[in-house]
Amino acid sequence: MNKCTNKEVAFFGKITAGITHEMKNVLAIIRESSGLMGDIISISPEAIVKHQEKIQNSMVRIKDQIERGIGLTDRLNKFAHSTDETLSKIDLREAIEQLVTLAQRFARLKHVVLKTMTPDHEGPPVTLVTRHVQLQMALFASLECCFTVLSAGGEINVGIRKLEGKNVVNVVCKGDLPGQSEFVRNISESENWPALQEIAACLEGSAKLDETAHGIVLSFPDEIRR
Amino acid sequence: MENLKILLVDDEEEFVTTLAERLELRGLQARAALNGEDALHMIEADTPQIVILDVMMPGLGGFEVLRRIKAQHPQIPVILLTGRGSEKEGVKGMELGAFDYLMKPLDIEELIKKMQEAIKSHP
Repeated sequence: MNKCTNKEVAFFGKITAGITHEMKNVLAIIRESSGLMGDIISISPEAIVKHQEKIQNSMVRIKDQIERGIGLTDRLNKFAHSTDETLSKIDLREAIEQLVTLAQRFARLKHVVLKTMTPDHEGPPVTLVTRHVQLQMALFASLECCFTVLSAGGEINVGIRKLEGKNVVNVVCKGDLPGQSEFVRNISESENWPALQEIAACLEGSAKLDETAHGIVLSFPDEIRR
Repeated sequence: MENLKILLVDDEEEFVTTLAERLELRGLQARAALNGEDALHMIEADTPQIVILDVMMPGLGGFEVLRRIKAQHPQIPVILLTGRGSEKEGVKGMELGAFDYLMKPLDIEELIKKMQEAIKSHP
């Protein structure tokens, strides 16, 4: 197995572990909620009336968690299918939304808010032909770089734009941040930075620091050479 | 076990509050904390007889909370909850002083059995 494949496997493992951990929480809530209803029903008919509100709340919780579980499995399924083709035409906005959803757990564990800056959903799609798996790896590596400089309560905003024929992704950190030079040093010395450089190069793109905006600028061509 | 004072610590609010309700229906006194910092404050304010602690939490992680509980209150048994498929986390927790561990989604009867064992071994 080559070095690149090893990294892809590690990335898949990390994302899958995060999502399945969330799924376990979904199932745990469903189990406790259905268990609570079962507990009440087994006490007595009077208990059902007495604890009617608990039963209703449990039913709402189960319904909500089923929706949460459907959302997670949809994302995980799309993620798994990103390996179907080596090169594919990708809607960059959709790819970012997908990755941001998959990475929510990692952000939450760092007490960081992670969101997209793509309010213009009606605009034309930004598409590119590239390696989907490596594109996701690049996006995730940029988030991991940001996690190293952000403290609790921070925020990461991910946005896209077309610039001089390139597809640009801006990953911007907000919150209680170090000064510009320290920001650059902390990110460039983090273990994820060289990995991000390597993946971006594989995609014939680039990853640069924007110390003024406290962010990372990823740039990808419309189509990579086959 | 009646009136046993339990502190449940997990950042999944709906999980921890529902579990607390189920334990209360069984005559136990269960309180819930949604993070490690709150849990440590609650332990100082009203020491529980047992702590059920999730390993993976934002902020102060489960292992760090366990370490601090064991440093200040070695007599309190701690049962860990882990969402990982392997036993690695649970084993690590026991090395740090946890009484035992359970995997999520958990079985309440198994939890109660483990709590009984823990209380017997920490008279």
